[in-house]
Amino acid sequence: MSELYKRYVDVIVRMQKDRKLVPLKLVWDNGTEYEIDKILSIDKRASEVGGGGIRYAVMICGRRRNLFYERDRWFIESVQP
Amino acid sequence: MNDRIIFHIDINHCYAQIEEMLHPELRNVPMAVGGHEEKRQGIILAKNDLAKAAGVLTGESLREAREKDPDLLIIPPHYEDYMYYTGKVKEIYREYSDQVESFGLDEAWIDYTASRNLFGDPEEVCSRIMERVNEEIGLKVSAGISWNKVFAKLGSDQKKQGSPFSITRENYKQTVWPLPVESLLYVGTATSIKLRSRAIRTIGELAGYSEYHLRNAMGMAGTMIHAFANGEDTSPVSDVLRVTKPKSIGNSITMIHDVYSLEELKPVCYVLCEAVASRMREQGLEGSTVYVSMRSTSLDWTGWERKMEQKTDVSEEIFNAAMSLASQYNFSLPLRAFGVSVSQMHPSKGARQLSLFWDSRRYERARRTDLAMDEIRSRYGFYAVRRACTLLDRPMTEINVKEDHTVHPVGYFQGRKMIV
Repeated sequence: MSELYKRYVDVIVRMQKDRKLVPLKLVWDNGTEYEIDKILSIDKRASEVGGGGIRYAVMICGRRRNLFYERDRWFIESVQP
Repeated sequence: MNDRIIFHIDINHCYAQIEEMLHPELRNVPMAVGGHEEKRQGIILAKNDLAKAAGVLTGESLREAREKDPDLLIIPPHYEDYMYYTGKVKEIYREYSDQVESFGLDEAWIDYTASRNLFGDPEEVCSRIMERVNEEIGLKVSAGISWNKVFAKLGSDQKKQGSPFSITRENYKQTVWPLPVESLLYVGTATSIKLRSRAIRTIGELAGYSEYHLRNAMGMAGTMIHAFANGEDTSPVSDVLRVTKPKSIGNSITMIHDVYSLEELKPVCYVLCEAVASRMREQGLEGSTVYVSMRSTSLDWTGWERKMEQKTDVSEEIFNAAMSLASQYNFSLPLRAFGVSVSQMHPSKGARQLSLFWDSRRYERARRTDLAMDEIRSRYGFYAVRRACTLLDRPMTEINVKEDHTVHPVGYFQGRKMIV
C-alpha cells in the first residue's frame, strides 16, 4: 500500500430530498473534474490520514478511493501529496 | 436483588489523542496540549505517550515540561474540536442507553442495566462500543464495568487494552482492595494525608476501617469514601434529558500580567462580572452570594464571600460586591489570577422587592444596560460593545471569558445528596 495523503477537495454533491448526500464529481486544485463512477459503500469511519467522518468508498476512473465528509467539508485519501 | 450494570468509559489522554487523530504525524513526536504561554495560562493539559515517557506530567507548567524534554512540541488547545469529537463519541454511547452521564469531556458513565435485554452480554457490548469509537471516531478508550459508578470508574482507570475491566462482587476484593487508596474517587491529597496518618494505604484497608472513626475524623466525607470502598455507592447515572441546575456560576482567569493594585484589577473584574451575569441571565437564575478568589504570584489562593441584600443577575451589582471583597487583599504580593462566582441560585423572577434604602432606578438602568449589551453582542460579536474602563488595558481585557473559559470539570454528585 502506497503512502496516503489528506487532501481537502471541492466536491459537487447532490443533496437528495431524503437528506442523503451523493457526491457526483470531485474537483482537483488545478480545476480538473473527476467523475465519481460508483459509490461502493457508506459508513462512519476515522481515516488513517487523520480526521474522519462519513466515509464514501467510491470508484473514480476505475480506481477505488475513500472520500470523507468531515464535519462540513470533504477530503480524499490521496496517493498524490 | 439484581445488581445494576454500569459502564465507565474514558477517552485516554483525551485532548492529546484528538490532536493525534486529526494530525497523525503528531504520534511520532513527544507532544502535549498546553495553555497559551503568552497568555500565561501555561500548564500541560494532556500529553501523548512519547511525552509521558519523557516524564512530562499533566498539570505541570510548560517551563517544567520543556526542562524535561527540550524537544517537546506544545500545541494550544482547540476546545471546539474536543467538544465536537467527544460529543460524537457520546452519541455512540447513547445508542445503547438513555442514561449517559458525562463526567467532564472525556469520561462518561452508562447505565446498561435496562438495555441488557435489548443488546445482550455487557462485556461483549462494552467491547463493541470501544471498537466502534476506535473505528468510527479514531479514538482509543478504556472501560470498566461494575455494579456501581465508583468501581466502574476504577475499572476504566486500569487502562486495559481493547476490552473492559470487570469488577464483580466476586472479584472486587482481589482487584480493587489492593489498590492505593488515592485511586478511589474523592480521595485527593488532603484526604490521602488524613487516611495515611491512620495507616490506611489501600482501598481494602479503608473498607475494613471503622466507619464510626472515619466519620468522627472527617464527617460525611468519611462515611462516603468508606461506602465507596465497600462498593456501596448507590448514586444513579443521570439520564440524557435531565438537566441539573448549577449551584454556582463563576469565571476565573490567569491575567496576562501581574496586577499590583485594585485600580488595575477593576477592568478585569468588570469583564468577569459581565460574563458571570450574562451566563446567569441565560439560565434564568439569580444569586445572592458573591465570592471572589484571588491567587497571588506565590500561587496561593485566597477568597472572600459576601451575601447580597437582594438576589441579583446584574453585572454592576456583582461588580460592586466583588470589588469591595477584593479590596481586602493587601497586594503585598502581586495578583496573578482572579475569579468571581455567584452562588445560592434561584430562578429569576424578573422583579424585585422595593426598598427604602437603595435606589431601584439604578438597578433598573443597570439591568437594561446589561440586556442591551447581551443583545448587541449576540448580534455583532463580543467586542462590538464594551465598558470604557476596559480600554485602559486592552490586552488584559481582550478575553471573551464567557465563550473561551467555560469548559469546566463537573462535580460527581451534580448537586444531588448522597444516600448512604
